[in-house]
Amino acid sequence: MSIAPPASPQLEVSDIQGDILRAYGNSFDHTSYAFVQVDCPPEQARTWFAGLLDHVTTAAPWRPGEKPLTTLNVALTAGGLAALGVSGETVGSFSHEFRQGMATRAGLLGDSGVSAPERWQDGLGTGAAHVLLTINAQRAADHRRALGKMEAAMREVGGVRVIVRQDAQLLHGAREHFGFADGFAQPAIEGATDDKVRGGGVPERHGRWRSLAAGEFVLGYPDEDSRVDRRRRLPPAPAGVLGRNGTYMVWRKLHQDVALWRRTIAAAGARYPYGDARKLAAKVVGRWQDGTPVETHPHGPDPDFDAAAPGANDFRYGADHDGRRCPLGAHIRRSNPRDALGHDGKLSLRHRMIRRGMPYGPPLPEGAVEDDGAERGLVFVSFQASIFRQFEGVQTPWINDGNVFGLGDDKDFLLGDPEGSGKMTIQGAKPFFLAPQAAFVVTRGGEYLYMPGMAALRAIAAGAAG
Amino acid sequence: MSLPAVSPDAPPRNVHGRTTSITLLTTQKPWGRFWMPFMFASARAAPRVLAAMDGLSFISFASWTLIRELPYNGPPQQVRRLRHAHLFFEVSFNGSWAQYIDSSVRVLTTGMYTFWGSSRRFPGPLPAGPFQAFFKAHEIDCSHYHCAYPDATVTIVRSAIELERRLEMFAHRAANIPSDAFEDAWEAFLEDAQEYL
Amino acid sequence: MSVRSTSIAGETYSLQVWTPIRPGEEDALRDYLEALPPEASPLARVPRTHMARWLIVPDMPVAPGTDLRDPLGGPFLLFTSNFDGDVDSYLHELVAQIPQEAAAIWSRCVGCPQPPEGAALKAYLHRNQIQAGFAFAAYPQASVAQIRRALDKRRRLIDFAVGAQEMTPAQRREEFLERFGPR
Repeated sequence: MSIAPPASPQLEVSDIQGDILRAYGNSFDHTSYAFVQVDCPPEQARTWFAGLLDHVTTAAPWRPGEKPLTTLNVALTAGGLAALGVSGETVGSFSHEFRQGMATRAGLLGDSGVSAPERWQDGLGTGAAHVLLTINAQRAADHRRALGKMEAAMREVGGVRVIVRQDAQLLHGAREHFGFADGFAQPAIEGATDDKVRGGGVPERHGRWRSLAAGEFVLGYPDEDSRVDRRRRLPPAPAGVLGRNGTYMVWRKLHQDVALWRRTIAAAGARYPYGDARKLAAKVVGRWQDGTPVETHPHGPDPDFDAAAPGANDFRYGADHDGRRCPLGAHIRRSNPRDALGHDGKLSLRHRMIRRGMPYGPPLPEGAVEDDGAERGLVFVSFQASIFRQFEGVQTPWINDGNVFGLGDDKDFLLGDPEGSGKMTIQGAKPFFLAPQAAFVVTRGGEYLYMPGMAALRAIAAGAAG
Repeated sequence: MSLPAVSPDAPPRNVHGRTTSITLLTTQKPWGRFWMPFMFASARAAPRVLAAMDGLSFISFASWTLIRELPYNGPPQQVRRLRHAHLFFEVSFNGSWAQYIDSSVRVLTTGMYTFWGSSRRFPGPLPAGPFQAFFKAHEIDCSHYHCAYPDATVTIVRSAIELERRLEMFAHRAANIPSDAFEDAWEAFLEDAQEYL
Repeated sequence: MSVRSTSIAGETYSLQVWTPIRPGEEDALRDYLEALPPEASPLARVPRTHMARWLIVPDMPVAPGTDLRDPLGGPFLLFTSNFDGDVDSYLHELVAQIPQEAAAIWSRCVGCPQPPEGAALKAYLHRNQIQAGFAFAAYPQASVAQIRRALDKRRRLIDFAVGAQEMTPAQRREEFLERFGPR
């Protein structure tokens, strides 16, 4: 079946909020996520909301020398839309899972036991969080100033207050707390990030790649289904102006028990027949700590690996059907199977996400294997046109299950909740069973949000969003 | 023009453990009453037709039936030969309702035309959205659904069956080889069996 | 020479039984079925059953946007089951193993024998069977008993394989033969 070339309209970058299509970059390494609760009539809240809009950063490219000191982006929960006066009917046009909220869907996401919503941080998952302000700054002083301005604007109007503020900052070397380089592998979006196509796009025949339709990530544009639709219909989106140039956002605070991870890997690594703890950890993740893919370099990291280089991510699982190079259940193989599910990547291509998370909390000192009680982890942020298909569609069948990979009850060893088989098979001539799986990552809370386009934000502020 | 949204979750009574049921009744176009029996016979004669579906390994049981009339049990049942032929479809599979449809339409596109082509208002398998809506419009919900091994997926069951066969063979061998040969035999067994564990 | 039933897939059988529900009894029947506990289904007491369901079909669905109503004349109870072996002995077992539930359910249907039990009930169900056009089974040769046994063995072997990594070779051999050796 031939796929007609897409008639991809140009992305309206000045109407799309920034950081969705292209990351701001590692220089913006001071971040705050401020969840605001509205506790006043919608008209009053809209006064405050309108005051934000001049400062919201768009996706319009920065000319040299015009890089802002700080950036601001705004997203809303279903409750937030209502609190700002958006009608019930219009809120009803948003997706089912967004309106239900993450806490209600915790069962699907594997957020049970220690990760259950009852144990979440105060303010998250209760319906109290209405508006999320994300502030990024290049320097600490600008960060503080931006926060100060945010607080002042709220005090001036009254009736709105920050109920949860999560600060985050890049760790040295753009690593996350388990020590792995993170964030550089992103989908190739047609018309926005075609430079990432080799490795970030859809794997096609003869080693070729193609970018994904923009509508997979921003609403109001054709998505991958539109490509195969004779009538070229657009994917479901909220009604009216809200449905254009916006996208859904997933925000999750994931606590990482670094000490537990180190102890577990060290103990198992001592028994691993093919190498040491470092190699075992790489097999679990699917990358070495510097980001070198295990699929291309199963024995050790590539000294010349450069995560920023265009072809850095250009690999497929191809002939590695038995997982002897990169284990079948490795984290990155689960979260983006590429061609590993067969059928020319057709079963994977609709489940890609843009990820923009940041680590939070101080690093655990090198070599420490006892927990120091500090709060540390990853703020996971993703953007996608469909939370159900792209976020939940990875979390439930690929991270928290092994069936589709032929792995039975095995869950992602790094991330999955331990209430499964509790093991990971490292395939090889001498297969190694890594056990026991423990709660290395615990969900501290999260929200499903919508990040509207600029015109949509203005319509909400004017009470004209329907 | 954009597609309407379809709620992605299955009603809870259609689910038992990790197994989900779908039950569907669709009205046939007139040619369906010849096409469907022909397709059934073809599928029986050449089971490879279902190889793609089988390969996806998430459907445990499925059946298709063309219904023209229902048995009569006397009053107050109304004696009626149905006006149209109807296709009855039932399936048990692993995973979520919407993920099932999303995967099926992309990979089983030809099969979708084969089985649904004669159903009225069939929108074609792609894009997935209208096909999901088609399913929703014709779906009947269970009042009670039971699975004898609700948490075992198709892949696990297949692995377990294959593993049992190999384990029996190995256990038999192991009891009959000298004790110092066990270690090598165990490693060879494990290397072969790892994909089923 | 008998023609092999089209409801068969390997060693399994796909059964469908359609019975019209007595006027006014639809709600009570639905309540009864919906109250059956999923974790303790009566169908678990018919051990040859792989998967089974009870549904109430209020009427034939109308293809959206069409006027193709095809009234059934009343709601139907639909019972479907994928099970091991032949339909005759299965129906016999169903009626014998869950007599209370079978009576409570099918006595609400038109034409059900009084009393709703035994050979008469079995004949009623058989008479209201519709043969499948085509049946598919992912593991058509495996019975419920075999599957359960295999699942249990797999679990035990995984536990052993994980623990065996910490054993000496001699322990491994001894433990393996102890747990899995031929009896």
